[in-house]
Amino acid sequence: MLNPYMPIPVDVEKIITEVDTKDIKTFRVVFVHEDEKERFKYLPGQFAELSIFGKGESPIGIASSPTQPDYLEFTIQKAGVVTSALHNLDEGSRIGLRGPLGNSWPIDYLEGKNIVVVGGGFAFTTLRSLTNYMIHDNNRSRFGDITVVYGARSPGLLMYKDELSAWEKREDINMYVTVDKGDETWKGREGFVPTVCKEVGPSSENAVTLICGPPIMIRFTLPVFFELGFSRENIITSLEMRMKCGIGKCGRCNVGSKYVCKDGPVFLLAELDELTKEY
Amino acid sequence: MEKRLIKKEMLYDVIKRISEEILVYAPVREGKDVLFRVLEEGMELLVDYPNSKNAPKNIFFPHTEAMMRYARTDRGMEISGSGEEAKEAVLFGVRPCDALSFVLLDMVFDQKEYRDTYYIDKRGKTTIISLACVHPPYTTCFCTSVGGHPMSSEGSDILLTDLGDTYFIEFLTPKGEKLLEKFGNLSEIDDTVDSIKKKLSDNSEKKIKSHIPAKESKAWLDDNFEHPFWDTIHQRCLACGTCTYLCPTCHCFDISDENKGNRGRRIRSWDSCMYWLFTHEASGHNPRPSQKERWRQRVMHKFKYYVDNFNAISCVGCGRCVRDCPVNIDIRKIVEDISKLKALKL
Ligand SMILES: Cc1cc2nc3c(=O)[nH]c(=O)nc-3n(C[C@H](O)[C@H](O)[C@H](O)COP(=O)(O)OP(=O)(O)OC[C@H]3O[C@@H](n4cnc5c(N)ncnc54)[C@H](O)[C@@H]3O)c2cc1C
Ligand code: SF4
Ligand code: SF4
Ligand code: FES
Repeated sequence: MLNPYMPIPVDVEKIITEVDTKDIKTFRVVFVHEDEKERFKYLPGQFAELSIFGKGESPIGIASSPTQPDYLEFTIQKAGVVTSALHNLDEGSRIGLRGPLGNSWPIDYLEGKNIVVVGGGFAFTTLRSLTNYMIHDNNRSRFGDITVVYGARSPGLLMYKDELSAWEKREDINMYVTVDKGDETWKGREGFVPTVCKEVGPSSENAVTLICGPPIMIRFTLPVFFELGFSRENIITSLEMRMKCGIGKCGRCNVGSKYVCKDGPVFLLAELDELTKEY
Repeated sequence: MEKRLIKKEMLYDVIKRISEEILVYAPVREGKDVLFRVLEEGMELLVDYPNSKNAPKNIFFPHTEAMMRYARTDRGMEISGSGEEAKEAVLFGVRPCDALSFVLLDMVFDQKEYRDTYYIDKRGKTTIISLACVHPPYTTCFCTSVGGHPMSSEGSDILLTDLGDTYFIEFLTPKGEKLLEKFGNLSEIDDTVDSIKKKLSDNSEKKIKSHIPAKESKAWLDDNFEHPFWDTIHQRCLACGTCTYLCPTCHCFDISDENKGNRGRRIRSWDSCMYWLFTHEASGHNPRPSQKERWRQRVMHKFKYYVDNFNAISCVGCGRCVRDCPVNIDIRKIVEDISKLKALKL
């Protein structure tokens, strides 16, 4: 019987500091054992529990895409005990990993549709995974137009900068990167994510939008999409709750009868309407 | 299913004999409480006792348990071993409400996609011998309101029913039948036994005096997550967690690491939705900011969410939370009050 609480070893191959404040880093990890790598089949939107023995575990969204088969990436903000310990690691360190956990962005549901990806702040991680998945050569034809709106408070807080500029150069994806407030060097767009979404005004015709960001951003972005005609079935988001087991046992992360760790973290807005507002 | 009779005084000997071969957990007196302990030489085994102070859930789901061990190496901490393997055991003297609680806990711990190996290992290797409640012990017992019965065999491998000088003993499951030989020569039953048992059973049911409209509360709970009623129930609550710790069906836990020099263990320990830290996120946000939301969670989890997910109420009516709440909050009263609120449409 496989023990679902047992972390498997992974090595931190590379650590990338994403933002000027240095409190968000991306960790690229590789599996120590080949069979465990083979077994780890995931889809964008899923998460894993990362372990540092002696400190504990934290649920972290998978920021890489299954189309990047050699490694996994996690983008982590320093928040407390475990995430600080992760931030103090050196490349080459060994950590533990459990997963993949949770459901994923509903790929089957997205197939054949126009996709609008909306991300704010560091919650963009699993949307980055989804975007990379969709624009991969093997998958691009499965989706219609792809529009990405991604915003941060300042240019220094934008993550994945190299990737963003690579995406901007592509013809088959509409990129809108924005910052709340620019600085001397910033030549790009300025404005809040909801405002930019309004300006971009993606058609709701055969379209789905996936939104992740701070609660306040989501609150102001939703009305924009309602106005554009997106139904509650076509707005999708990912919830965060405090977690421990990640597999629906410890009884911590429920919203109504659903467990965010098992039934989520991804929910259609229409599904959230059915749940209690306890998140 | 094998059915036999066993003389009362013989039962002690049989259980003692079994305890010499394998682990036997049994109710023993400690101070003024009855608790389940590993039966050791010289300990007095109880058979006539109302119910244990704590639910026996800790046998399969200990208050704290090591999940794995780790040690420091040049690369950081690495796993040096998994949790302990369970031994074959007998859990003797369980009351029907507590036996039913294991069926409810299985629903969470033994799911198809994620099996809780620690719980399942212990549960699988343990045979449960229950004592039917011919005389339901407390005024706070309400098992019949929540899908139980004072003489129910659900969740038991072997059920003992007190007939006076003898026990009627039913070997209910293959696990139970495997223990049959350890009981030695048991008397065969005659055809009156079943009808005697039936009579006792009807009688004991009548002796349950506490009835609550538990199943009926679901419809109201479905619609009234926001209702002024929730502002009233928690007010005296001290957030001590006693109700959840004593409850046979509560299963929430925390996972943490415990270090000692270069080694350590990852442990899990009981946690409680009555505590403010339970859902407190690193950002400072807490989706259940006050005791109101926490008490609502406790009621919802037992009488609505569990029903939604498993079609079962997650309360066996043992009454422990009622008896031991330091400020006398009574879950029966809450459910009753809810039934009166039913007509109120917001
Ligand atoms: C599905 C999901 C995906 C996530 N993805 C990311 C991500 O990609 N990048 C990122 O930086 N953060 C992510 N988080 C948040 C991250 O899990 C918390 O910031 C982190 O657990 C805090 O742990 P800590 O030990 O540093 O903090 P402490 O405050 O010391 O927390 C102690 C423990 O509480 C729990 N905990 C506290 N806050 C949270 C929380 N918000 N969510 C879950 N558990 C919590 C953890 O078990 C943690 O070990 C995600 C959370 C969830 C639920
Ligand atoms: S036992 Fe009583 S006071 Fe303690 S947490 Fe439960 S309801 Fe509150
Ligand atoms: S809620 Fe109270 S009465 Fe019901 S099973 Fe738990 S402790 Fe017993
Ligand atoms: S994290 Fe344990 S139930 Fe969801």
